[in-house]
Amino acid sequence: MSLFWIVVHQLAEIEAMAASKKVITREDWEKKLKDVKIKKEDMNKLVMNFLVTEGYVDAAEKFRKESGTEPDIDLATITDRMAVKKAVQCGNVEDAIEKVNDLNPEILDTNPQLFFHLQQQRLIELIRNGKVEEALEFAQEELAPRGEENQSFLEELERTVALLAFEDVSNCPVGELLDISQRLKTASEVNAAILTSQSHEKDPKLPSLLKMLIWAQNQLDEKAAYPRINDLSTAMLEDPTV
Amino acid sequence: MPSSASASVSVSASASASSTTTTTSGAHSDLLTRLTSSEFEVQLKALRELKNRIIGNRTKKLSFIKLGLVPPVAAILASKAQAQVQAQAQAQAQARHDSNLLVQSAAALGSFACGFDAGVRAVLDAGVFPNLFLLLSHPDDKVVDAGARSLRMIYQSKLAPKCDFLQEKNMEFLLSLLNSENENVTGLGASIIIHSCESTAEQKALCHAGVVKKLISLLKGSLSQRDNSLESLATVMKNNVEAVSEFVGSESGRALSSVIGLTKDRYPRTRLLASMCLIVIRNTSACYLQDIGIKTKLVHLLLELHDDPGQVGDEAPFAFSSLISEKPDLQKLAFEANAIDKLYNHLQKSQLHPKRFQGILLALADLCSNLESCRSRFLSLQALNLVSDALTHDSSDVRTAACMCLRCVSRSIKNLCAGNFLNEMIVPPLVRLLDDPSTSVQVAAISVIGNIAVDFTMRRSLFVQCGGVKQLVQLSKSMDSTVRLNALWALRNLMFLADNVCKEGIFMEFTASSLASVICDPEPFVQEQALALIRNLVDGCIKSVELVFTEDGMILDAVRRQLQNASTDEIWIQGMYVLSNVASGTEFHKEAVMHQLIPQEDNGTQSFILKFLQSNESQLRTAAVWAIVNLTFPSSPGSFSRLVKLHSAGIVSQIKSMVNDPCPDVKLRVRTALGQFTTFGDCST
Repeated sequence: MSLFWIVVHQLAEIEAMAASKKVITREDWEKKLKDVKIKKEDMNKLVMNFLVTEGYVDAAEKFRKESGTEPDIDLATITDRMAVKKAVQCGNVEDAIEKVNDLNPEILDTNPQLFFHLQQQRLIELIRNGKVEEALEFAQEELAPRGEENQSFLEELERTVALLAFEDVSNCPVGELLDISQRLKTASEVNAAILTSQSHEKDPKLPSLLKMLIWAQNQLDEKAAYPRINDLSTAMLEDPTV
Repeated sequence: MPSSASASVSVSASASASSTTTTTSGAHSDLLTRLTSSEFEVQLKALRELKNRIIGNRTKKLSFIKLGLVPPVAAILASKAQAQVQAQAQAQAQARHDSNLLVQSAAALGSFACGFDAGVRAVLDAGVFPNLFLLLSHPDDKVVDAGARSLRMIYQSKLAPKCDFLQEKNMEFLLSLLNSENENVTGLGASIIIHSCESTAEQKALCHAGVVKKLISLLKGSLSQRDNSLESLATVMKNNVEAVSEFVGSESGRALSSVIGLTKDRYPRTRLLASMCLIVIRNTSACYLQDIGIKTKLVHLLLELHDDPGQVGDEAPFAFSSLISEKPDLQKLAFEANAIDKLYNHLQKSQLHPKRFQGILLALADLCSNLESCRSRFLSLQALNLVSDALTHDSSDVRTAACMCLRCVSRSIKNLCAGNFLNEMIVPPLVRLLDDPSTSVQVAAISVIGNIAVDFTMRRSLFVQCGGVKQLVQLSKSMDSTVRLNALWALRNLMFLADNVCKEGIFMEFTASSLASVICDPEPFVQEQALALIRNLVDGCIKSVELVFTEDGMILDAVRRQLQNASTDEIWIQGMYVLSNVASGTEFHKEAVMHQLIPQEDNGTQSFILKFLQSNESQLRTAAVWAIVNLTFPSSPGSFSRLVKLHSAGIVSQIKSMVNDPCPDVKLRVRTALGQFTTFGDCST
């Protein structure tokens, strides 16, 4: 976060100097950037935070050994979390639910929306596999009572069961439920809930730092022409267009 | 096509109940057999299966509880928890088996108890509560976690047993929980505080044991520790000046600053809990957090938290109420922050959770309790329609809250004058609530009627047509003194400046003998309302004064008895006004009042009116002098003879001595009386 404030501070300085749109040469810019000090440990922590949140457990373990950066969470829990995520992504929802319950029974007991979405995903998988009878029974037994408790669940349930009404599901208005993106959506919802239950932020910090960088550049664009970073993946400074 | 699909869903929704029972009872006997199996693997598998079937599924929990699955699970936990205590040195394999069974059984029990009072009761009834505590000292961390989680679930219910902190061993135990390295265990400690700490003595004991300091240090812990700590701090500081000043002074004010900082946290739950903590500090000690900046910030924050779709949004209106309740300055700030419009927008949403619905109505009630500006804004939004719908809501809490809201809005004299409340939309549902099975709904409904009955247009007949008077008269004979009090108060207001037809209607419904008996109610505050009711009855035209003379004047006798025997100024004031109003009637009425004031058979006792004229309560003096003024009105033929009687009873000289009464009201009436006395010449001296 401190990195961000350094940038903002610099922006303010530049703004104070320039009444009209000012041109900053690459040379000046690089000189200014040189004066900004970033601690190596901070960088490492951001990387570790990214690895942990995204669930790269082996990389995190290696990185811990090589850089000496301690993760803010027990790395073993990442393995469990990733196993859950993977199970949902592969369509093994029942397995995923059992794993979440082993990890922490509170998560699904106190998060009715997530629980409903997992059960809904289970129903979708049954329908995908053509198990119509089983799907109907499951909808009655497990999902209908949730729909009675919550109006918006009922609407979602109706949408899902509608899948059964179409011959050609790939071409029906609710067909998107069968899309792989639906699995990913459910998987990331479970992932976030597990992270929150472990008192861990559910999003990595690196993307928000980059978002702030883009925001700051957009602000600066109105005041000055300067070497801009346009491609985040290379972080190349591009010469100002004068 | 999709429409037929949705139709089949609604069929399946209603069919679910029967299909659930058939499948589960089959699974039940099987599960039950396996839970009681002697084979470890079978038992463990059964426990896991049970756990996975009930988590997140309230319907299943309930049916499994009914099928008696809680006791066998509790039995597994108990046997393994005690085995652990008895034989520390077990074979490793056996220990691992036991740990697994403990984790699974504790998780299942915790899930039965999660957010579900019937489950908590079943778990407590199974006698497993003390055994769960044994798990906290288990060598396996997973078992400790599972035990602590389950206990936390139980402590979130009102049904959980209270922990008495005044017992030293309990306090030591609590501190050991709070000092634990395990997050679930510190969380359990916080839950126990939140659940059990009620009295000031307990709060103080916790402070002295260093709990506040410990909780402050947990503010720096993980997300859940922070939230737990905020909630526990609020519990310990509520209405406890000592704890508040310890907290505010801690770490040279840094503890307070960190809580203020947490109102900007990214997690809504943390923001809500931090603001609740600050509200407790403010409401407990008037000397902290008084600057306009923090007040405005809290108002805006809480209004914003209403947008949260989950539990935070459900709790936000209650926190908002506690912030503004009885504080006109904060109500004004909230009004300026557009609170009425914002709350109204939430109220418009369909399918509101009953708790949120109740909270928003109560928050609106608090907003409208003092400021006319709030009430006019509320009425201009047509919010009354939504509130009148809420009067028929399924939840009794929502019905009560709707009444509270109506009561505060109907304090608006301007709108009462315009007759904006006594209408078809509000009166019939309100009258139906007088029959409500819940006493708190009844009382709340009566109190709205009390307010809107003071209607200056001629709409009272609507209320009578709906059968409202009949109901109120019934309720004024209730066993519950609060109900009697409120019913009489409502009737009193209904009687206020009513026309003679209306008054007679109420009187006939009530009957003289019942009125006489409520005047002599065992509760003084009920007596006062009864007398005030009679006072309004006899205010105005002669015909209504006649009413108190029916049945041998038993009402007037009851009034005299209260004036002689009761012992509070309030009762005397209302009683004296009754006599004063009656004395404004015909010669016959005036003589009857004289008879009450100065009985024929003089047994040497001082008349009560002398005592009232000498009272320290200026309102009582006013009422008493007013009666004398009415009795000695110069154009009445009998006034002179009454004056003579009053003179010989020492009343005239008493009035003369009051010519410079410190109360202007009394002074004015004393001078009127003296003016009337002089028209009869000097005979009065």
